[in-house]
Amino acid sequence: MADGKLYGYAGKILRVNLSKAKIVEEDLRPDLLKLYLGGTGYAVRMLWDSLEKGIDPLSPKNLLIACTGPLTGTLTPCSGSVEFAFKSPLTGIFGQTRAGGRFGPKLKYAGYDFIIVEGASDKPVYLSIMDGSPELRDASHIWGKTVHEATDILLEEVGDPEASVACIGPGGERLIRYASIMVDYDRAAGRCGGGAVMGSKRLKAIVVNGDRDIEAAKPDEFYEAALEAIKAVSKQGRGSLGQFGTVGGLLGLNESGALPTKNFQTCYYEEAEKMSGQELARKYLLKRRACMGCPIGCGRYVWVPSGPYMTPPHEGAEYETTDMIGVQSMIGSLEPLIRADYLCNTYGIDTISAGNVIAFAIEAYERGLITDEDTGGIKLRWGDADACLKLLELIIERRGIGDLLAEGVKRAAEKIGRGAEDFACHGKGLEVPAHDTRGTSKSFAIQYAIGNPRGACHIEPLWAGMWDFSRSSLGLRELGLPWPPPSRFEEVGVKRGEACRLLWLYGELASILGICRFSMQGGEDEILTPARLSRLVSTLTGWGLTPKDLIKISDRVYTLKRCFNVREGVSRKDDRLPRRLMEPLATGPTKGQRVENLDVMLDETYEALGWDKKTGKPTREKLKELGLDDVAEVIWGG
Amino acid sequence: MPKKLVISPNKCTGCGICMLACSYRHFKVINPARSRIRVVRLPHEPVDSPIYCIQCGLCISACPFNALSRDLRIGAVKVDPEKCTGCGICVHVCPYGAASRDPKTHKALICDLCDGDPECVKVCSEGVLLYLDPDDAAEYKRIAFSRLQRREVTPLRPDTR
Repeated sequence: MADGKLYGYAGKILRVNLSKAKIVEEDLRPDLLKLYLGGTGYAVRMLWDSLEKGIDPLSPKNLLIACTGPLTGTLTPCSGSVEFAFKSPLTGIFGQTRAGGRFGPKLKYAGYDFIIVEGASDKPVYLSIMDGSPELRDASHIWGKTVHEATDILLEEVGDPEASVACIGPGGERLIRYASIMVDYDRAAGRCGGGAVMGSKRLKAIVVNGDRDIEAAKPDEFYEAALEAIKAVSKQGRGSLGQFGTVGGLLGLNESGALPTKNFQTCYYEEAEKMSGQELARKYLLKRRACMGCPIGCGRYVWVPSGPYMTPPHEGAEYETTDMIGVQSMIGSLEPLIRADYLCNTYGIDTISAGNVIAFAIEAYERGLITDEDTGGIKLRWGDADACLKLLELIIERRGIGDLLAEGVKRAAEKIGRGAEDFACHGKGLEVPAHDTRGTSKSFAIQYAIGNPRGACHIEPLWAGMWDFSRSSLGLRELGLPWPPPSRFEEVGVKRGEACRLLWLYGELASILGICRFSMQGGEDEILTPARLSRLVSTLTGWGLTPKDLIKISDRVYTLKRCFNVREGVSRKDDRLPRRLMEPLATGPTKGQRVENLDVMLDETYEALGWDKKTGKPTREKLKELGLDDVAEVIWGG
Repeated sequence: MPKKLVISPNKCTGCGICMLACSYRHFKVINPARSRIRVVRLPHEPVDSPIYCIQCGLCISACPFNALSRDLRIGAVKVDPEKCTGCGICVHVCPYGAASRDPKTHKALICDLCDGDPECVKVCSEGVLLYLDPDDAAEYKRIAFSRLQRREVTPLRPDTR
């Protein structure tokens, strides 16, 4: 960076104030880049610095930051990534949510690494970033339209079919707390309610395209590193993930007793065959689809050509959705699942949260905690696809019980009371996804309980089962990953905390560098190991960053995200699991598995992370070591 | 005889790595807008399709400045950057949208087959892009041509309920 030029980055931030209808350009700050690199790392620093503690996430005071990382949109495999960072209206803590598609790369080609959206508009608007001239435009004509309708209209309006659109559907407009931001029709930034933040700002969409260059500091070396990386990751394209999508793993998980079913009562589903990726490929798959720069192509372009569940072609039916909507409520048929997924996409709500909430409602109905009066006469029963679809419509329209369920499972359970909290599966308010604390790996008990940064999540920072379930070392052994891994059911004294720390810090790099985690999960010969990432980032930016340097940056980012949450009031007492996720599993190969020693596992993990065991705060020493002295002053006092 | 660039249809996932590699090979930058190959994704339809130059040469005779010629060794259209004024007639006449103008220099962007070693073919991990001897290539050309005559299947429009 001797000449002051930033390689790999676009170099600019677009700051949009919706209250004042003002747009300004700012330069990226090299001092912050050195510490946080980019993506949600750079964004969490901006949110920490700019957001007051305790603001209402749906007020104009919240910020919505669209983030890319240095690797986004480069020739790095799986770099078609965009992350959105904000304070979550679902959890009240740090929120981040990611989508693939083409938006992230296009934003960089348009000349920006980040968009910061401030304030709120009086009337619906959209942000157009075309031909290097960003502007706010009226969106009253598309307010109320579905994601698919609005995207069609916008692409025509900007006159560029190759532009990329990130928009919200009616879900975001109605402030459903788990509303998604949808990218290029069907790619979902689903988690944490980013769509509701956009809706609260009356920002319907962002449309972007551009034709600027991204340059590497060492062009030939970078190209060589990228080709080698593409070659490695493309092996996954020829494997199950590429050929059968994420849902290709569903049967294997079921056989291992790791397929959450019936609102997490069990991890084994009798009818799993009917919901498999192989069945999907046989009957409903039109083609595979990849995000920009991805040699895997896990996307499933599917449809239901006729019948009561007729659904137009769209990208859908990935594993999370299939389990959360199709298996948890025991629908046992792909057609209504595909339809439900499509409705979630085009109305803009998260399929994981929606599925979780629906299964919760069925169980609450079964226990008599909600009645026909609440549901408007819909009889909620396990396996009743039509009832599920009707309930989904109520949620989308915020009608009847749907209005309560649109607030998320935590708020719904609190309102319903009478023991409903025991089977409301969330961590810090984020609905638990389709991987289990007992059936998959005990690491998920820790991961969901700590829920850093965004609540109970399987993939942010990383699918921790890579270590003891998949038994892949991810190139982390040189960095100290305990090896060989223990049985996935073993709880304490097996270095689980140490392992989780390293897995998470490695995974965190995806959202910092701006790439998809699927390029980081698998065998060492088919993923972006720390060594490959180091080579890519170093040749791209010209900064010599070793795997150790990367992990250190990651540690800083992960720790600062925790501090953001601590500032919002999170402490050890919040690092817990709902009762359901500790109870013995009811059936299947993992029958009887439960979580017995959560507190000991947490102690081990805090210790590894450098967090205070009593309060759950990162210690003063840890913060000093990371150069976060100013942050230490805020959370520990001066 | 020079080889031909053809595609094996239906396999393309639309990842666009070919576009990024094309801009890198020619300009040492990443910028799909400067690529000579373009992947088209049709919304609401199961189509991802690399649009590439078939080297038909229609542009050669249309160029008013004699900036285009045929490289007989490779079989590719060659652009003389000295003579090219960026008038855009080649873009105008190209039936496939395979010719375009560079957003930076405004000069013609026409596939040069990377001097007989096409970068896009090397990076396509799906095996969509093929660089074959003319006889083998002809088989793929026939497939592509016959696809024009297949019965149109109209997919459902979005939000059909």
